[in-house]
Amino acid sequence: MEYDIIEKVVELAVAEHELEGKLVKAAELIAYSFGFDRCEFYLWDEGKQVFTLKAHFGGDSNHKIYAQDEGIPGAVKAQKGVFEAQSLDELEEKGVTDRDMEGFRSVYALPLHDRHNFYGILSLKSRKRLALSIKRRHIIRIVALELSWAIRYDELIRNHQKIHSDLAEIQKKFANAEKLLALGDMAATLAHEIRNPLISIGGFAGRLKKQLGPDTKGALYLDRINIEVSRLQKIMDGITGFLKDSALELRSNDINEVIEECLKIFNPDFRSYGIRVIKDFHKGPLHIMADREQLKIAFDNLIANAVQSMEKNGGSLIIATALSGDLVTISIADNGGGIDPRYLGYIFNPFFTTKEHGTGLGLPITNSIVNRHKGVIEVENNAGVGVTFTVKLPRAEAKLPVVLLTDKIAESGPGKFR
Amino acid sequence: MKKRILVVDDEEGLRLLYKEELEDEGWEVELAASGEESLEKLESDSIDLVLLDIKMPGMDGVEVLRRVKERWKDLPVILCTAYPHYKHDFGTWASDAYVIKSSDLTELKQTIRDILGKKE
Ligand SMILES: Nc1ncnc2c1ncn2[C@@H]1O[C@H](COP(=O)(O)OP(=O)(O)OP(=O)(O)O)[C@@H](O)[C@H]1O
Ligand SMILES: [Mg+2]
Repeated sequence: MEYDIIEKVVELAVAEHELEGKLVKAAELIAYSFGFDRCEFYLWDEGKQVFTLKAHFGGDSNHKIYAQDEGIPGAVKAQKGVFEAQSLDELEEKGVTDRDMEGFRSVYALPLHDRHNFYGILSLKSRKRLALSIKRRHIIRIVALELSWAIRYDELIRNHQKIHSDLAEIQKKFANAEKLLALGDMAATLAHEIRNPLISIGGFAGRLKKQLGPDTKGALYLDRINIEVSRLQKIMDGITGFLKDSALELRSNDINEVIEECLKIFNPDFRSYGIRVIKDFHKGPLHIMADREQLKIAFDNLIANAVQSMEKNGGSLIIATALSGDLVTISIADNGGGIDPRYLGYIFNPFFTTKEHGTGLGLPITNSIVNRHKGVIEVENNAGVGVTFTVKLPRAEAKLPVVLLTDKIAESGPGKFR
Repeated sequence: MKKRILVVDDEEGLRLLYKEELEDEGWEVELAASGEESLEKLESDSIDLVLLDIKMPGMDGVEVLRRVKERWKDLPVILCTAYPHYKHDFGTWASDAYVIKSSDLTELKQTIRDILGKKE
């Protein structure tokens, strides 16, 4: 009986096969049941805006891809309904050319869709003239609907799987963040343990120098010791900056004002390195709740990096502040050559530096300060040209909580990452 | 008479450094290696000022400060620590001064001079 096919297609649709296998079987079933010579499924690719042949039965289709307004698939899509032609002449009359009609006489094609989406088309071709009864047309429509559901189901499953793998990815990142946190705790303890002996070393070196008197060789050595001790002390201070319980003094601060203050310190550097400073500030104050001193440390670090990148050849420092929705954004751009893409994934790691006298703590400290203010940092690297660091912070009037992505930790890769 | 300072720190090196540097300035220096020991010293000796490390195993500096201020209300105490974060700790408000540890003792000495001078 003709109705049997409906049942069979339902069985197919809910079976555990891959979509392609289901469609191939369905194609065979439909072709046999209704006496077509070929049955094809062209599925619509929303991303690429083309039709691709997903499954077929009866000879080889030589046209595997159709543009959105091309041939029979294009005609069905434009019409949002059944397209049929009893002869090639009729096809031509309807203004449709389709290379894949060679050897065929008539075609009956219909959309695979539901209320929400257009999934593609089902096309049935025959070498003869074909008169389809109303009943058969109904049955084919029902079958097409069933198969639309199968396609939708497949799509949902694939989305589901993608969400799962995205989730696994995020979990992995969190695990990394936790490791980093543990490392941070360890470093803080270590910093404390090292700090006291350092003070002793420096202190006694000072006393020894007093005993030896100035202008002695020994005094020279002791100066060296002192220089190294202060360097180590600077590193230790940096690490203690990570201590998570250090309290923030949150007040309403105008970010434009904070940046101006930071820039002032660098004025002598701008002059001596030939750096042009271009300010593109938001008109009017941009208030955020922040610990002013901490924020200044964060921006000092970013500006210092930009300045250091342009030390040799000069350049332009472009500082922009803006308001976008509930976020205040501050971007600091330089043209000091950018970051080697190989290193991009490491720049936020403590102690990563490419500078002779760097501590590699500038960016991790900046990152930790920005994070504690519920903000994020984004890096746009243009290797060989320059780099733009963008800090995004919730503005003071923002409705809390403002949800931001905070897992920009050490994800490697060229170009932009967050 | 020479003023007497009690230095409380669990680091031997630092105790020695403080002792020598402060003695050079003309003060007498007593040492204690823990919070408990410092309280014993305070009972038996007469002390004019306490230099107190915050982070110590056992009884920490904040606890010592609390007990000292309970018993000897007017005895000046200077808190020393490696980090500036303790500033916000409500337990430390009672100290007379707050100094961040450094191998350069100039600031510490000046603070001691100021406090002892005020008491004259
Ligand atoms: N604006 C920039 N242009 C080019 N490279 C940069 C820039 N900012 C950061 N980097 C790279 O990232 C590394 C890490 O920066 P970070 O500020 O953490 O440490 P540092 O600058 O090397 O040391 P410190 O901040 O202690 O002086 C730098 O050594 C540099 O290689
Ligand atoms: Mg830096």
